Amino acid sequence: MEGVLGDFITVLRKAGVRVSISESLDAVKAAQIMGYDNRRLLKEALSASLAKSHAEKDIFDSCFDSFFSFNFFQSPKKANTHNPGAYPEALKDQLSALVLKDDKGQLAALMTEAGRMANVSSIKNPMQKSLFTMKILNQMGMPGMEAMVGQIKNSTGSGLSQQTAELLEKGRDDLVQTVKDYVEQQLQLNADGVDSKDQFLKTTPLSQIELRHFHRMDGLIQKLIRQLEDRHSRRLKTANRGKLDYKKTLRKSISYGGFLFAPLWKKKKENRPDVIVICDISRSVLRTVRFLMLFIYGLNKRIGKIHTFIFYSNMIDASYIFDRYSIEEALSKITTDPSLPIIRGKSDYNTMFTNFRDQYLHLVTKNTTVVILGDARNNFNPPHAEVLKAIGERCKRLIWLNPETKPFWGTGDSEIKTYAPYCHLLQECNTLVHLERVVGTLLSARR
Amino acid sequence: MDWKADKFSSVEQVMDGMKAAHYICDSKVATTIYLAGNIEKPVLVEGPAGVGKTELAKVIAEYLEVPLIRIQCYEGLDESKALYEWKYGKQLLYTQLLKDKLDTIMNTQDKLADSIEKLHQYDDIFFSPHFLEPRPLLKALEQPDGVVLLIDEIDKADEEFEAFLLEVLSDFQVSIPEIGTIKAVRKPLVFLTSNNARELSEALKRRCLHLYIPYPSAALEREVIKTRLPQIGEKLRKQLVAFIQAVRTLDIRKPPSISETIDWARVLLLMHAESLNRELVGKTLNVILKHEEDIRVAEEKLVSLTAEALKADDGMTGE
Repeated sequence: MEGVLGDFITVLRKAGVRVSISESLDAVKAAQIMGYDNRRLLKEALSASLAKSHAEKDIFDSCFDSFFSFNFFQSPKKANTHNPGAYPEALKDQLSALVLKDDKGQLAALMTEAGRMANVSSIKNPMQKSLFTMKILNQMGMPGMEAMVGQIKNSTGSGLSQQTAELLEKGRDDLVQTVKDYVEQQLQLNADGVDSKDQFLKTTPLSQIELRHFHRMDGLIQKLIRQLEDRHSRRLKTANRGKLDYKKTLRKSISYGGFLFAPLWKKKKENRPDVIVICDISRSVLRTVRFLMLFIYGLNKRIGKIHTFIFYSNMIDASYIFDRYSIEEALSKITTDPSLPIIRGKSDYNTMFTNFRDQYLHLVTKNTTVVILGDARNNFNPPHAEVLKAIGERCKRLIWLNPETKPFWGTGDSEIKTYAPYCHLLQECNTLVHLERVVGTLLSARR
Repeated sequence: MDWKADKFSSVEQVMDGMKAAHYICDSKVATTIYLAGNIEKPVLVEGPAGVGKTELAKVIAEYLEVPLIRIQCYEGLDESKALYEWKYGKQLLYTQLLKDKLDTIMNTQDKLADSIEKLHQYDDIFFSPHFLEPRPLLKALEQPDGVVLLIDEIDKADEEFEAFLLEVLSDFQVSIPEIGTIKAVRKPLVFLTSNNARELSEALKRRCLHLYIPYPSAALEREVIKTRLPQIGEKLRKQLVAFIQAVRTLDIRKPPSISETIDWARVLLLMHAESLNRELVGKTLNVILKHEEDIRVAEEKLVSLTAEALKADDGMTGE
């Protein structure tokens, strides 16, 4: 059974639960203590030792249910209506004996073992199903059982032996079906590898990601956020000794009889950037906006203040929406809420820049990082690059993210080349990988 | 006395034991505790505030009949507060008291090198266990009869502290540079609780069994109220639990937890209420909701919520 548990852990890993070696050992121990006879207890015990967060528990539950969906846990029926003992020759073949005894537990174990021998977990596409089914059946000893059925049929036995043959044939059909289901299940579990899917999602253009992947994407973003946080919190710690903290040192020295024995340092304040985000929410950019906002608001621990402005044909301050509602609601509000005073006509950088200069320029200080997200398609309005220049001179950093791919920059009504000289960083940004890189630099670099 | 044989022989036993200590839980909790007792691993308990994470450790201590040692984590907690500290005062006092003695020892030698040689023979006396002030962690390891160690709200402590805990959690030992490694006399049963204020490190999670306690289901919650406040009438109990369960589905900042349900039940009992009504609920809403906005949200829907709760009771008695 340990082998099966190993397979289960592989499936869990593929589904995105991080399981270490020591945790697998715990799981084996837990399973030994709990035994395999109570499905619920086994599930709870494995859950405690393998899944280590609320989200992982959910994944675990679904994996457990689909992986152990075979009746491993049904105790084999002991009393049978027929008496297999009467046909000793049928019992010589292991598989036939099991079928006759209707020992489901043993059969399941045999099948999983055969599956392991046939390396069924390597199944990748539906075309391989029948191949693996054959392999497993052979491994289980199906040819022997077939021969046995033939032998019994040919023997000039009484009606009782014919009955046995019928039983065996029925058992065989059931078995074939079960193995087919099993292979199907393995295909579901293994071919749909999340690893590759995550990678795929990371590099797919954000505008093309389908709605049904959003949930997954959000998980992915959370993961990336965590990585970024880890990276940046570590960096802060090493720089954690600066000025001598005289008061603390003096206080500590009392326990050393007044000797300044253990100097204490003033902790450096965490360098948390203030961020002003200016987002184009026209349709062409909307998807990218969504993911950028998820990122930035996910990182709010590492970011001091966030101001969000959105613009379409005009610009409004949307910070209060993000402060008040959850990120999901806020996003849907800014895209669909008709009560917002935003005109959804043509995107207009001209108005945006003048609005910003007149009303909000004072928000930009030397600690601010300004992130502009937009494709700079200005519909042939005047570009007002001098405002961008003013912003760039006041702020710590000015980052422009353009969801368009580079070859399109500067074509048609795109003004990105006019704006480019005033940005400290101008980047193409249309996949998660891009986003992660940008947010990483947002947190780290000091200029 | 051996825990394994005595107290952890089956999941049912653990569950009954906790029930006897007035702690009602589902089998998930009992299974995890049973497992923790058998493979001697710490348990990391997560879940929203007020679902009884800390209470769980207390109850287990009661069940095992051993003391509970508790460390409340906070930002800036370090090993001198959690593990051990040298008794500086005592060290100083002793050096002063023994000054004459030291002088005589030193004076018998004329050469400096000899004095130092002599001193070396006594070097470790001031850094011996006599001068060690044990803090909760060390105390827990030193208990001969075992102990339940509760490390509360580990997510509030710094990441460094978490790293420092790893040795204790995996090997049940601590290293003190001047003395050496101190191993647990008897492995304590360790509980860590977390409200998920920050993500805990993988290394810590790896060393623990994980238990997530969600808000209780209606049936479980009724059971809890029944155990804690047996005086309360069945009708009111059903109604108030139904109400709380409905409030939890609202969009509010801090949904009421089980401890708030108990408080509320207590309040209603004091007010001699027999059944919920709109006025009564409106007056006592501040017992279960602790934020101004939350109360406002709930008040808006008070009529329908109360009606629902009353209906829930009817439906159940009708069954």
